Amino acid sequence: MFEMRPLAVIAALFAGTVADAADLDVQIRTPNGGPVRDAVVTLHLVRQATPLPKSSGNFAIDQQNIQFHPLVSVVPIGASVAFMNHDPVRHHVYSFSEAKRFELKVNERQVNRVVVFDKAGIVPLGCNIHDRMIAFIDVVDTPWAAKTDANGNVSFHGLPAAAVTIDVWHPYLRAPGNQVSRGAALSQGPARRESFTVALRSPPRPPDAGY
Amino acid sequence: MKLRIPQFGLLRTRLTVLYASLFAIAMLCVSTALYVVVERNAEAQVRNELIASGTIFDRLWMQRSTQLRDAAGLLARDYGFRAALATHDRGTIESALDNLKSRLGLRMAFIVGIDGSVTGIADPATAREAAGLWSALDAGATTGVVSLGGEARQVIAAPVLSPVLAGWVVFTTDLSRHEMRALERLSAIPLTAAVYQRQPSGSWVGADDDKRTSTTAVDQFIETTIRNGQPSELDVDHGTSIALAKPLPGMPGAPRAVLLLRYPMALALAEYRPLQLAIALTGIFGLALVIFATWRMARSITRPVSLLDDAAGRLADGENVSVPVEGRDEIARLAASFNRMAAGIAERERRITHLAFNDTLTGLPNRALFHEHLDHLLKQAERRSGEVALLCLDLDDFKSINDTLGHAVGDELLRRVANRLGEQLGEAFVARLGGDEFVVVLPLGKTQGGVDMLARRTLEAIAIPMHIGEHDLVPSSSIGIAISPIDGNDAETLLRNADLALYRAKASGRGSFCYFEQSMNEHAQERRVIESDLHHALSNRELELHFQPLFDLTKNRISAFEALLRWHHPTRGMIAPVEFIPVAEETGLIVPIGAWVLQEACRQAALWPAHIRVAVNVSSVQFRRPGLGTHIVQALQSSGLQPDRLEVEITESLFLESAEETIKLLHSLRALGVRIALDDFGTGYSSLSYLQSFPFDKIKIDQSFIANLLTRPGAGAIVKAITDLATALGMETTAEGVEETAQLSELRAHGCSSVQGYLFSRPIAAKDIPTLLKHEGDIRAKAA
Repeated sequence: MFEMRPLAVIAALFAGTVADAADLDVQIRTPNGGPVRDAVVTLHLVRQATPLPKSSGNFAIDQQNIQFHPLVSVVPIGASVAFMNHDPVRHHVYSFSEAKRFELKVNERQVNRVVVFDKAGIVPLGCNIHDRMIAFIDVVDTPWAAKTDANGNVSFHGLPAAAVTIDVWHPYLRAPGNQVSRGAALSQGPARRESFTVALRSPPRPPDAGY
Repeated sequence: MKLRIPQFGLLRTRLTVLYASLFAIAMLCVSTALYVVVERNAEAQVRNELIASGTIFDRLWMQRSTQLRDAAGLLARDYGFRAALATHDRGTIESALDNLKSRLGLRMAFIVGIDGSVTGIADPATAREAAGLWSALDAGATTGVVSLGGEARQVIAAPVLSPVLAGWVVFTTDLSRHEMRALERLSAIPLTAAVYQRQPSGSWVGADDDKRTSTTAVDQFIETTIRNGQPSELDVDHGTSIALAKPLPGMPGAPRAVLLLRYPMALALAEYRPLQLAIALTGIFGLALVIFATWRMARSITRPVSLLDDAAGRLADGENVSVPVEGRDEIARLAASFNRMAAGIAERERRITHLAFNDTLTGLPNRALFHEHLDHLLKQAERRSGEVALLCLDLDDFKSINDTLGHAVGDELLRRVANRLGEQLGEAFVARLGGDEFVVVLPLGKTQGGVDMLARRTLEAIAIPMHIGEHDLVPSSSIGIAISPIDGNDAETLLRNADLALYRAKASGRGSFCYFEQSMNEHAQERRVIESDLHHALSNRELELHFQPLFDLTKNRISAFEALLRWHHPTRGMIAPVEFIPVAEETGLIVPIGAWVLQEACRQAALWPAHIRVAVNVSSVQFRRPGLGTHIVQALQSSGLQPDRLEVEITESLFLESAEETIKLLHSLRALGVRIALDDFGTGYSSLSYLQSFPFDKIKIDQSFIANLLTRPGAGAIVKAITDLATALGMETTAEGVEETAQLSELRAHGCSSVQGYLFSRPIAAKDIPTLLKHEGDIRAKAA
């Protein structure tokens, strides 16, 4: 969970300015109780502007074994993401997303290319050469965003004790926009616990056999 | 089971029908079996081809699906296309779709976006339908049959991943008649293919059937065959087909669809029709051949049988037949046997005919053949308006020759007479009817002179003296002639009339011939009446004896009465003895009548004075029949009359027949004391040898001499000679028929012992005799 660290730092930065820090534990499960990892949980303040996250930080998406790593990345708006090809073959990374349309036509081995994501939203990444390569970058406009661990849990600390909207997104979540939301009023004291039960679609596989 | 074969008039027809029927049945069985096998075979072949075609169709369907999916997948993966889709570059997308449509020959290609949008279909209604595919596509379906734009179409979809699912590229192919035609052309057999879709109502309708009509037969057929997957028969208004329904992959939410492959049976069997026709023609030709061959063969078998049948028919009709004998088989042997049999029958028939129609004694035709021949000639003559003469001939006094010389001589005489007739009358038909009766039949020419000559020639031929054994005979014969049609136009009448004529000829003297006249017939009829009435006369007491006195000239008194028979016929009155005595003699009635006469005469005589005798005429017939002696004895005994008061009068003719027997009987009567008188002396042969052969008590001089006594010179001399002769022999004489006193004195002068006649008395009834005797003086006065 090394990606978590920067976000936790961001949260700590705001803690002083907002009175009364609160904690939130979010747990995401499938209907049969299995953990849902790589779900992105984002919090936005209700009826007040949510502060922008700091765009500093090192974000990287590696291409290794004809696959993107990690599958899901959470980056603050304006962040620069490095694309590093560790494979001995070339990749043609692209995205047709609204948030960021780009293509790295020839991403050769060990060449580090950087792309700046300056617009919030989901950016699906694909490789025009290798159909099975896929990854998602969630460009967030809130300092409170994180993805679930292998157990399907994510914890937030030092949150303002205020009403927030909790958005849960997963690339294969069976819901419009692949996202579910819920409101919650945060308060000081012991960590608030929110549980989500979501159904997942099977990942679309490119048709390469049968009909 | 008993097979009933209809009856035929000809064996040949029967054989032909039998064999032809058997062959026809066999041919029918073979033909039916072949027909069924061919039909089954054709059907099986069609089924196999249908299954093969179905498999080919599956492969084609898969090929086309794969091809289109590949094309769709290619498009879906095209970076530029995906870029255009991502950027919602509609123009680029549609141009890309159009490009693909023309390249692949598609009618429809469109994009269904992940958000449900449809790109590439101009028609809003069709676009809405296309948008309806979203859920099926989202559920992962990529191909199937759907209804789109009012037609059944196959859709092939490929997801557009960029890299997340952005939508689907969807191609459609038509399943219209046109497309099916292309499919049909790929099949080895001329089947028809059509896509049917299941309607919400449950019925199946053709994909290109705008009217959405359905038939129950098709519905049931599809529901059944999509379950078992086997081809079977389908009856629709176009006729019977072998059909197979193959389910087509569907899209979730889209109506189910099947591909119906159909092969009309008529079409399937068309190529077998020549074979079936050949079988049928072979059968018909074979049957015709069998009928012809059987007919020919049957003729060779049945021809001898037919000949036999025909010959047997002709044999039955009395023809002389024989059949040709060919070969050595049973029929040939039968024919030979038949010929022997026919020959045997003919021979026997000839012998029987000869026996039946010929007289065994003379060899001449007999009565039966005579009748047949006469009938035949009469019929022939009737047609030609000709005449037939029938001559009846008999020998005079044949009976006495037979009796006196013996039957051997009589038979020999008949044989010789037959020979003479045969020789003399070569041109005529001669037959012997029996006894000494012969007939001659001769068809006549124009003149009757021929018959005269024939009769005369015959009489002369027979009259030639002949020598038989130790006897010299001079046969004589009489002939009666009747000629058709005047004297009768049937054999019976003609023969009867000829007989009557013969009777007349006989009566008119020996050795003569006589033609029939109608009066003879009347006379004969009279005789027949007398004959029949005479049978009853005795029992009806119609007979009566009258008595005529005989006056003894020497003793000058009545010495006897001659009993004379009288017949009081109930309707015809008194009938003269000359009319009925001959009839009684011919019929033999004279025997009982004679017995009665003797009885009655004796009974009456017993009442008279003892010196008066009774004279009774006895016929030669009575002498010939047994019993006369007994009758006389009985008459004497019952009456108590002295035998010497009975005088039996016989005629010379008695001696012509069986003289020896007669004389013996006469002697025995004489021994009794009965007197015997010879009646009618002087007529006939008047052989003096008779007088020598028997010592008569009396000779009665025939009245013809008495009648001529005064008129004819020499008559007196004869009477004198007779009385002298009688006196010399110790016999009395009685003159009959004395009517005049002059005659009486003449007779007295000649020495006649007694007289009888009207001069003294007519015959009188028995009751008048006492009166007569009382006035005997009157008679005595006449005699004085």
